[in-house]
Amino acid sequence: MNTATGIIKALNSGIKHLAIKRFTLRYPEEKLKFVGDGYQFDPSTGVGIAGYKGRHMLFHDHCTGCQLCSIACEGVAEAIAMVKVPEEHKQNKKAIMPQIDYGKCVFCGLCVDACPFYALYMTNDYELSSFSKEGLIYTPAQLQVKPFVSQDSEIKITDRGATHG
Amino acid sequence: MNKELPPGLALQKVDERIMTLNVGPQHPGSGHMRIIVQIDGDFIVACDPDPGYVHRGEEKMAEYRNYITNIPHLERPVIHDSCNVLYPYVLGVEELLGIEVPERAKYIRVIASELNRCVYTMYWLAIYGIFLGHSTMFMWPAGDRELLIDLLEKMTGARVTHAHFVPGGVRNDLPPNFEDVCLRQVNYFEKRIKEYAAVFYDNPILIARTANTGVLSREDAIRLGTTGSVLRASGVDYDLRKKEPYDVYDELDFQTNVLKEGDSYARSKIPWLDMMESCRIIRHALQKMPKSGSVRVKLKPNPKGKGLDSVYKRVESGRGSLGCYIVSDGKPEPYRVKLSVGSFRNLIALPYLLKGEKLGNMPSVYWSLNYWPVEADR
Ligand code: SF4
Ligand code: SF4
Repeated sequence: MNTATGIIKALNSGIKHLAIKRFTLRYPEEKLKFVGDGYQFDPSTGVGIAGYKGRHMLFHDHCTGCQLCSIACEGVAEAIAMVKVPEEHKQNKKAIMPQIDYGKCVFCGLCVDACPFYALYMTNDYELSSFSKEGLIYTPAQLQVKPFVSQDSEIKITDRGATHG
Repeated sequence: MNKELPPGLALQKVDERIMTLNVGPQHPGSGHMRIIVQIDGDFIVACDPDPGYVHRGEEKMAEYRNYITNIPHLERPVIHDSCNVLYPYVLGVEELLGIEVPERAKYIRVIASELNRCVYTMYWLAIYGIFLGHSTMFMWPAGDRELLIDLLEKMTGARVTHAHFVPGGVRNDLPPNFEDVCLRQVNYFEKRIKEYAAVFYDNPILIARTANTGVLSREDAIRLGTTGSVLRASGVDYDLRKKEPYDVYDELDFQTNVLKEGDSYARSKIPWLDMMESCRIIRHALQKMPKSGSVRVKLKPNPKGKGLDSVYKRVESGRGSLGCYIVSDGKPEPYRVKLSVGSFRNLIALPYLLKGEKLGNMPSVYWSLNYWPVEADR
């Protein structure tokens, strides 16, 4: 190809983009929407349910203190420690529950796969930054709280290009 | 200069024209790797790549973890291509443990690994663009990559390190409506990457910069043992997806891209052409995939190998052939895991390619080898 026409073609394909809507997601004003309520696992079939692998959620009324999640994490990141909880649950005689250190966790979800009692799931919450290292350690009481997430942007594709609508 | 030297010491002769230059290991133009180049004026007379700066002992770590907990850390060598890095390991463990994978899981794996190959290639292309001073080619791939990352995130729950493949299938089934979303975004992605031709691949300035630089002949490419896009850019039609099909690649319709030139330009064009083939594979796999069925075989909690056994599996990753050799001694942990990666094999060509090149061509020749420092160091 002729050099001049090649350069003009290249410039032209860039100029065309002036008229196209912006694709950039304007985080944190806009947040991307995820499928479902987070990664979950069904121990009866042995298959997970698709969802975002974010901060965990612990159901105190299901957890038996069996430590399987902490054993699973030992080979991954050693992020889970079993700690005493004050309240009594009849299925949890030892009164111990997982506490997760998000300074170590790699969000692989293998602990969720290991829990046989539907007690540990993951949620869509990924904004976990903290000013101190201690702030990254989530106690069983903190893990029980359902996170508040407002995520609504999705990729929309039209004839004029893709946007985060 | 006739200084008296202590006995036993001698001054080394220095060539007055040659200067030694360390590029890296913390240089944006080399990644986590040092390239020691000797230059005479503007021309490179010798070059010595020095990998190993980010060695993390992945292989040794794998000996202390069981077959399942090895998954999250074994995908760290190339986080952008994490499904493909894990693929040979998972295939190998399946053979060691004698697991038969459900049909639907095989298709999901092929789709995930093709999406991942495109994500990796887009990242690679973005850096290639900025190495050549082409900022548009940095912004566009980095933005369009988002389309596929979004798909992978819907599929696997994580944007980059997915931990999705497990021995026996995949961790979770596809979310509802995934096929439609995937088809729409992949079609748009393909349309977008075709636009790169006008701005980048047919751009006379790029061709003038990269054509006929760092030429690797067909014979040398075979002799040096290069793989992947480097090998195919030198005119050798070798793609493991065709030559040793794994999972369901033999049922899918695609072709391999081969160019004859063997220069930087051809090496940078092959991954781009491969992305279009990947889009074809994804579309065909979505069409042929069984619409329902199991995606994972239930395993015992701590699966063990059967006595002394070993297996070698390899797949075509974004950077060429990627092999995994696993030895089991009947314990829940593997006795040895060895990764044989494409990056490291392609690096060997660098000293040959750079000899006689101008120093300014070094980044483009280096990056056209599709080298990923972290993967090569493991
Ligand atoms: S997600 Fe992975 S790293 Fe995090 S606590 Fe669970 S097993 Fe450990
Ligand atoms: S969260 Fe699940 S695996 Fe962990 S201690 Fe509780 S019941 Fe056991």
